[in-house]
Amino acid sequence: MHAARNISLCTKDCLCLFVCPTGATDTETGQIDFDRCLDGCRLCVDACPSHALYLVMDNYPEPKRKSAQIAKALQVLMESKSAQETVASSLALEAGTDARKLLAKAFAYSNRILSEDCGREAGFMLPQSAVVRDFLVGLLDQPFDEAFPADAVRELLELI
Amino acid sequence: MSDAVDMAPAALSAVCSNLSKACAKQLRKREADLFKSLSDYFNSKVIRVADADLNQLEEIAKQELAKNYPSLMVIAEEAVDRGTQRALTWGKKVTSIHTSLLARYQKQKDALLENNNLYVCEACGFIAVAAAVPDLCPICKAPAARFTKIS
Repeated sequence: MHAARNISLCTKDCLCLFVCPTGATDTETGQIDFDRCLDGCRLCVDACPSHALYLVMDNYPEPKRKSAQIAKALQVLMESKSAQETVASSLALEAGTDARKLLAKAFAYSNRILSEDCGREAGFMLPQSAVVRDFLVGLLDQPFDEAFPADAVRELLELI
Repeated sequence: MSDAVDMAPAALSAVCSNLSKACAKQLRKREADLFKSLSDYFNSKVIRVADADLNQLEEIAKQELAKNYPSLMVIAEEAVDRGTQRALTWGKKVTSIHTSLLARYQKQKDALLENNNLYVCEACGFIAVAAAVPDLCPICKAPAARFTKIS
């Protein structure tokens, strides 16, 4: 488990710099140097007055598998949400008035959020899960065109 | 192997945009960018609907409220899957508000938005029609900062 910094919350009180025993909090990118951060140390997390630092797992335990029946039904609902997103975003492109265009955009945006939520509950919550790895491996077997970023998939399989 | 890969491009894009957000919350920027590039690819593969209209949205939403939500809630309760029950509770309310918003628009037409903006809750998808951003999402209780103004 290492510390990570949410830079948008950081108020530059810099307490982390003075409590960190390894200098891992002092970097040019604003992010913690994960390689130098001590496993579970959390001195910076407790010292930070703005809650900009928190601990994240290096290796996630495998989450409990969703029931196959629920996962399947959520995928069906997810496709239904995505179908509405597609209708709404098509509508936004050809809408006659500004108000109609805005309404269509709102429906597309809302349905994307609903679709993502179904996806999380269908087993795609933690990127480090076997469900996500199976999904990525499965994508590499699909007959997508040459614009498909297969390298991104391979890199993700290395990283997560 | 995952049967999720057989879903339509828009759904594949949502799986990947969701994972991108998850990585961003874990402060894993590289992974977030990679999932985003996958999400963008699938978005570019979405086939637009030629004769899209608002009635289609209403039809699908009503179908979900009559069939998908009730049947899924039964199996989620049986399995004591509280996360799924939470998603269904929010989703059903948001979807039902979709149908009433469509009905209001059919009646009032563009006048609905004359002195109003549209705000979407990033947490649950609730669409607010209001002059100013809501203080609190009535569905999931997210604060004002979690709303995105549609423009």
